Amino acid sequence: MSIKKVMTKYGTLIALGVIFLLFSVGVQGFFDSNNIINILTQIALLMIIAQGFTMAHIVGEMDLSFANLASLASVVVAGLIIKGMNPMLAVLLCLAGGSLFGFINGSLVTRVGIPSLITTLATGIVANGLIYMYTGGVSFYSGLPKGFLYLGRGRIGPVPVLVLIMLGVLLICHIFVNKTTAGSNLQATGGNAAAARLAGINTRFYKMLGFVLCSFAATFAGILLTSRLGAANPEGAGGFLMESFAIVLLGQTVFTVGRPSPIGTFVGALIIGVLNNGLTLLGAQYFVQDIVKGLIIILAVVVSSIQTKRMGV
Amino acid sequence: MTSLRTEGITKEFPGVKALDHVDFELAKGEIHALVGENGAGKSTLVKLLAGVYKPSSGRFFINEKEMSFSSPRDSAPYLGVVHQERELVPFYSGTQNLFLGQEISKLGILGKAAMRRKAVDFMKAYGLELDMDSPVSHLGSGMQEMLTILKILFRSPEILVFDEPTAPLSVKECEILFKLIRDLKSEGRSIIYISHHLPEVLQLADRITVLRNGKRVTTVEADTVNEADIIKLMIAKDLSQQYPKTALEPGGEVIKVEPFRNNKIAQRYFRLRASVSPMRGFSIHAKEIVGFAGLVGSGRSELARQIFEGKSPGMYRVTLSGNSFVPKNPKDSISKGIVMIPEDRRGEGLVTSFDVGENLALPRLSLLSNMGFRNEKKIQKRSRQIIDDLTIKVFSPAQRVSTLSGGNQQKVALGKWLDADAKVWIFDEPTQGIDVETKSEIYVIMEKLASRGAGVWFISSDLRELEAIADRILVMHESEIVGEFKRPFQTERILEVMLGNQEKEEVRA
Repeated sequence: MSIKKVMTKYGTLIALGVIFLLFSVGVQGFFDSNNIINILTQIALLMIIAQGFTMAHIVGEMDLSFANLASLASVVVAGLIIKGMNPMLAVLLCLAGGSLFGFINGSLVTRVGIPSLITTLATGIVANGLIYMYTGGVSFYSGLPKGFLYLGRGRIGPVPVLVLIMLGVLLICHIFVNKTTAGSNLQATGGNAAAARLAGINTRFYKMLGFVLCSFAATFAGILLTSRLGAANPEGAGGFLMESFAIVLLGQTVFTVGRPSPIGTFVGALIIGVLNNGLTLLGAQYFVQDIVKGLIIILAVVVSSIQTKRMGV
Repeated sequence: MTSLRTEGITKEFPGVKALDHVDFELAKGEIHALVGENGAGKSTLVKLLAGVYKPSSGRFFINEKEMSFSSPRDSAPYLGVVHQERELVPFYSGTQNLFLGQEISKLGILGKAAMRRKAVDFMKAYGLELDMDSPVSHLGSGMQEMLTILKILFRSPEILVFDEPTAPLSVKECEILFKLIRDLKSEGRSIIYISHHLPEVLQLADRITVLRNGKRVTTVEADTVNEADIIKLMIAKDLSQQYPKTALEPGGEVIKVEPFRNNKIAQRYFRLRASVSPMRGFSIHAKEIVGFAGLVGSGRSELARQIFEGKSPGMYRVTLSGNSFVPKNPKDSISKGIVMIPEDRRGEGLVTSFDVGENLALPRLSLLSNMGFRNEKKIQKRSRQIIDDLTIKVFSPAQRVSTLSGGNQQKVALGKWLDADAKVWIFDEPTQGIDVETKSEIYVIMEKLASRGAGVWFISSDLRELEAIADRILVMHESEIVGEFKRPFQTERILEVMLGNQEKEEVRA
């Protein structure tokens, strides 16, 4: 029984440890401080965008639009800066626009009553259209100032700024969800909206908040993506959609089973990051990584649903 | 010849015996009525026979052969159940519904003409006139019910169960149904008939079995009894001796609800929503427990929810401790001093993925935090206090509520409000599915709340507990408050008003 409990609670973490150990022993150049920093840098953007999706998932909603929104933010911020706008202003403008996007998603779901899956599928398509309207299908790749690029490429000592930003986002999200009243209400809304409402919680507001935070994080990640690449292309963040799903689902199997959590999402991101990195070092071809990732998602969902059933939730 | 027989059949749910060693016998070609109050075990018995539940112990036989069904699909060839919920595909026609799952086809192509011909013949054989071609969602509720029955007959089970079949029917449709049931009887089929409407039962049944508290009280020949006899059999002994009630001197009115029908906007709202609002108002005083009695669907919960959730603005004039109160939403009602413990504990009373502590803290978080940050110390202290006060059986506040028994879950659901200092407490079926011991604890809690000066709004389908605990009982029928009773209560009288017998007879005569 106690082994079962430990496995339920820490199984995913143990899996991460095992994968990490195997790669450390078996793959040359894996267990190396530079490579570890490399892994963290590789997962930074994914982790930030997935923290946003974690918020939407906590209130029990789906969001299919955030990756397109991130791409949109990526090209718009690049375009604005290249056209001569103050970078700081451009970034703030994008973040505001991104939040508005989340507000629209939230309004359509909570006020109009369209299921979130359909709403965000549609708004995601709109975002994609806006990208091509803005860029005409062309990438921006020059003319970004050094100060802006520092966000994505700079280092403080040996540690990339991007990694620090990621850890900062993780910390804020973790505190927000677990230590504040708003975070508790967010979780209650997702856990059982009817009960939360009858307990006097404004569930509409918290659903809205989930969408806004998701869009905000996606916009932020899109901006960081441009900064990291020094360029922006129309589909730059498209791949983040499925990967975010994967790590949030993986994250649900950590600690609090069946409930998305910021730390869980971070652990999920680490698993994906370590696998990608290790497999690349092993010389596995790109498609092997996809197959492994897919299988892991299925495994995570199976494990989580078995655990959830056992707990009778 | 018996066509169905049960032997000591028992069904236990955690903490409750829904059915307790029931021996029931259905003769071939008889109409056998099952009567009893809500929760007496009628539906449980049917669900056991139909394979929805598995019996905890006991056996049953069909044509003297022992049976065990694991799903309604297994039982369908032997036993057809007509529920109030109709199992029809709404956008399919009558014919398509009739043949659902056993369509006639050749090489995978549907034989539509053949099916239609067969369906129409089948319908006519029972002397019915139904539209077999339109989508059933276009038909009236009576037609839909007939179609449901037809669909069940089409699978030609030998035993038919009718569970409150007349509720959605008009007087004329009732007559058609009764004729149909008699025809089925003369065909040699055996029929179990469940109804709250006693005149109907007496008119139709050959024998009547009375259930009470999950036990079979007796089985009688229908022509040897009258309504009053049956009602007496349905009611148990007085519960008031078991739960001593301390009568309190009621204080001032804490809530007063008046219908607001002459308001034009409200009237338009009625028509738009076809909403319910009682013609009569009522009030609850401080230190008073007011029971709301009525059958399932009589509009008791709806009334409470309209006030608590503000779902129908302009329909009531509500006065809360002398101040006018316009219901808006739960949040607002709570801040004004109304709390509700909903009927659906797991669905609405608790966040089942949360632990006990989190659930208890839920509505009071803003008071248990500093600048938006949870004050874990305060939260813990309060949780422990509530857990001790209500003797909730948990190892720690970190235990998940989903692992608790029904009684302890209910204590968590109501415990979270304990320090809210509410003036009006709405309890919607608070003791349903709860063990006897916890039930009385909940009565004690209600009395304590009343003695603290609150008004308790107590909705229950268990008349005995209302009589034991309530100071006054309001009876609802078809969304109207149709009666008010004061202590000492006359059970038979209340029951009659609950069943709405007087009016219905007039309508149906």
